Amino acid sequence: MMPKRTLWWEDGAVYAIGGALGAMGLSFLVVWDVLMGNTLTDGSQRFEWLVVGDFSLTFGIWIDELTALMLVVVSVVGTLVVFYSGGYMHGEGETRRRYYAEICLFISVMYGLVIADNYLLMFIFWELVGLCSYLLIGFWYERPSAASAAKRAFIVTRVGDIMFMAGIIILFKYVGSLDFAELFHGTGTSAVPTDMMVLSTALIFGGAIGKSAQFPLHEWLPDAMEGPTTVSALIHAATMVKAGVYLTARSYPLLVQAPESLVFVACIGGITALVAATAALAQNDIKRVLAYSTISQLGYMTLGLGAGGYLVIHADTAAGYSAATFHLMNHAFFKALLFLCAGSVIHAVGTNDMRLMGGLGKVMKVTSLTMLIGSLAIAGVPPLSGFWSKDEVLAAVWHAGDFDPVFFVLWLMGMATAFLTAFYMFRMWFMTFAGQPRSAYHAHESPRIMTVPLMVLAGLAIGSGFALFIGEGFESFMAGSIHGLLHGAEHGSLADLAVGIFTDPLTYLTLALAVGGILLAWKVYYVPGFDRSVFAKGVNGRLQRALENRWYISKFYDDLAVKVVYALSLVADAFDRHVIDGIVNGFAYLGGNTGNLIRRLQNGNVQRYTGLIVVGICLLLILVLYVIPWGGW
Amino acid sequence: MIPIEYWLVFSSLLFVVGAYGVLTRRNAIVVLMCIEIMLNAANVNLVMFSSYHSALHISVDPSGQAFALFSIAIAAAEVAVGLAIILSVYRRYQTVDVDKINILRW
Repeated sequence: MMPKRTLWWEDGAVYAIGGALGAMGLSFLVVWDVLMGNTLTDGSQRFEWLVVGDFSLTFGIWIDELTALMLVVVSVVGTLVVFYSGGYMHGEGETRRRYYAEICLFISVMYGLVIADNYLLMFIFWELVGLCSYLLIGFWYERPSAASAAKRAFIVTRVGDIMFMAGIIILFKYVGSLDFAELFHGTGTSAVPTDMMVLSTALIFGGAIGKSAQFPLHEWLPDAMEGPTTVSALIHAATMVKAGVYLTARSYPLLVQAPESLVFVACIGGITALVAATAALAQNDIKRVLAYSTISQLGYMTLGLGAGGYLVIHADTAAGYSAATFHLMNHAFFKALLFLCAGSVIHAVGTNDMRLMGGLGKVMKVTSLTMLIGSLAIAGVPPLSGFWSKDEVLAAVWHAGDFDPVFFVLWLMGMATAFLTAFYMFRMWFMTFAGQPRSAYHAHESPRIMTVPLMVLAGLAIGSGFALFIGEGFESFMAGSIHGLLHGAEHGSLADLAVGIFTDPLTYLTLALAVGGILLAWKVYYVPGFDRSVFAKGVNGRLQRALENRWYISKFYDDLAVKVVYALSLVADAFDRHVIDGIVNGFAYLGGNTGNLIRRLQNGNVQRYTGLIVVGICLLLILVLYVIPWGGW
Repeated sequence: MIPIEYWLVFSSLLFVVGAYGVLTRRNAIVVLMCIEIMLNAANVNLVMFSSYHSALHISVDPSGQAFALFSIAIAAAEVAVGLAIILSVYRRYQTVDVDKINILRW
């Protein structure tokens, strides 16, 4: 049955848009305060939540530069996505009520996550965003693939959540508090032994591995594309998956006390960036390409944070930290843009498969142009935003190579990823918008409610990179949130920064790789006559098959789940059936059989009873009068 | 005075005779009679100890005899109740054979 047609502003859309706009207004007031230098972290606004004996849980609000950045990202992307949903979800009829309720819940708990001032409150919101992700991935729950993708996302991220919880439990055991104010400032964590600090920070980062889809828990994110594209844009590209990066950035004061964890963070980031970028090369689903691209870019951020920690320790500079958070913001804008463009394309064509698209550039001018801007931004072409932040991240990793050679390897992986990113993004763009249509469809440009958010986001994707040069510069702004870790670091002038970027040969190397990737994609997927069957010949086609099967990681998990977990379940089932039930049933049989035996004594014959009483009394008398005195007791 | 052992042997014999009757006879009325015999064995003991108590302490202490009288009164009441039960059992089952009246076991 087709859903009942309603107008686009009905079924809760107005309330959702109003709420998102109101929240955006309030966030901008807060961000303005932070920009003016008024941080609200003095701890005066704290509420008591739970009192047990002389222990009490309190919660409050923690606003600093990092929070301000996240507030900008969540509010801008959230509001634009809610607007865009008005057009994209139009055909869903009354089920949009559920959609808007869930998406508003998600936006509100995301705000809660970024302003929480202790790990416990943060963990609660952390679980709630996971819940919203589950609900929205499974929005079309009638489809078995959507329902199982939702379950998979929830269960896989839960692995990370448990690590996160274990990490904060360790902290709580030694410090007795989970408030940022106590953990981050002064000597709050002096009671934690070094090895425990490494363990707990690594476990907290484990939460980020799950939520931010880092290797090896990244396979849930491509499956999460079963949800509506707006959800993919908001939750699985721009905001929720950033929660893991945010958590890692927020835990910096703890991470710099455990350099081993920083290396772990950086390695996970580097591996994720490269593995996901290679997997993106061979996907044919437009949203899956973007999903792997998201994972890869999240890997960049994590890599930048890991390297940035080394820079904080050894070079006393916030360069890596600010680069990673800068990339977080830029990526939120251009990846939301790319997803919403993909949504516009899917809305027009009715399929996700790029092999059935082609030639859309002629009919969807706004979408193709904005998507081109997004692709150029993510590929790192100046002066779009991705160029500035990706270059900063790679520079930070290169710089960290001075202190630990492992960062040099990670830098090479990052450079390779930069090349691959440019290639697969333009492969996608050419396959979608260039050439001739490869299937019969009547594409049309999307309505204005969808294209206006695209244009706004395209403007942000072009312009947000220049935040690097606004005011005293992005780096000195972000350094404010970790100023306790820096010891009077000198910030170079912004002119020096710009000159530094454009005189550094590494910048041109990155740029050359990006342009090379774009040209290769142009050669392979745009210029006619290129024989693509050479891919199938490489390493006897094994490489292509491995890429198409996403390095068999997903298959590995499925096999693990099917074989190992099923075998374990069989063992557990046998144990339950025979040992646990055996004990319970054994006691029951023991009682029953004993009763059957003993009831024979109770035969109702009064004289038998009397006889037993007499015999018993005689025995007792013998015992008391003869046996006990004889024994001398 | 009759030596105390005589009394004790006498009351023991009386008790054992009663117990034997309770254990072996089938007729509920005979069982009730045997219970009376056992009770009277106890009464004989009470009276006997009472008189020896007075003789040994050279004082008159009738509390033992009071106990015996009390016990006899209760035995009379008990017989009344017991006979009433036997009568109603007889009306219900047309028998006073204690081997057949065994459904109280459950």
